[in-house]
Amino acid sequence: MRIEKCYFCSTNVYPGHGSAFVRNDAKVFRFCTSKCHKNFKMKRNPRKVRWTKAFRKAAGKEMTIDTTFEFEKRRNVPVRYDRELVKTTIKAIKRVTEIRSRREHAFWKNRMAASREKLKAHRAKKQAARIASVKLVQPETVAETPKVAEKIKVPVRRKSALVPGEGQSMGMELD
Amino acid sequence: MGRLRRSRVHKAQRDVHRAARTRARTRDLDQIQLHDMDPKHRAKLEAQPLDYEKTGLAQHYCVECARYFETDGALHGHWKTKLHKRRLKTLQSPAYTIEEAERAAGLGRDTRRATASSLPIQPSIGALTTELSQMVTDS
Repeated sequence: MRIEKCYFCSTNVYPGHGSAFVRNDAKVFRFCTSKCHKNFKMKRNPRKVRWTKAFRKAAGKEMTIDTTFEFEKRRNVPVRYDRELVKTTIKAIKRVTEIRSRREHAFWKNRMAASREKLKAHRAKKQAARIASVKLVQPETVAETPKVAEKIKVPVRRKSALVPGEGQSMGMELD
Repeated sequence: MGRLRRSRVHKAQRDVHRAARTRARTRDLDQIQLHDMDPKHRAKLEAQPLDYEKTGLAQHYCVECARYFETDGALHGHWKTKLHKRRLKTLQSPAYTIEEAERAAGLGRDTRRATASSLPIQPSIGALTTELSQMVTDS
């Protein structure tokens, strides 16, 4: 039994899980999920996709060089079963995992310390820029002019002297 | 569906599913970089025998883009295109391989081959225990 690694995201692919693509030069590409398979079909580079292990390692977000990585290997030499060996191996796996997780935490802490400085500098710069951009101006005082109600003369219209006939008034206004 | 006139009237509509069919596959980047661009293989690819099945009888081949052309003029024109130049740029960085995926997962390769003497004893156990004890002491 072999636990394979996903070509795209580098997670474990257990027997009976995931899918595989065999290229015409007999290279086997294993995929943990359809998500990884689809991304492969889209010809994306895992090194540039943020959620993959390859990205995290290439971008310096995770520990890459360490002696704890020297244990897990694709071994093509079969080892004859030995109960004692299995016992020590299991013990070793636990110990190695423990040491690795501690080192990974130390690496993370170190990385975060550096990034915190960077973030602080960035924030200070942003704040300074904001202060510089804001210009306070005293509002101008406008002298208020008193409102005067102006009187407009409306000419009085005179009625024409024509006499309306047949009882209907046809009064005409003259200017 | 919203307004599609702006996004679908022009030739930006690529048939992604057709292009991703297995039979439409050409050489991958790692194959081109590690095999085809090697001078020996390159010379062979650029001087292929007449093949009636291939475009232009397989006489005008762009190694970087893994593409056949009808005429020499078309091939020379292709070298000036953006498509080809973009491909050259991507080929400058090392291509992603299965080995890199495994290395990212922390899985190394043991290049040792099985021999008659190495089979009965376990060669890895001695190395494992010494390395482990060394690790425990230095951390």
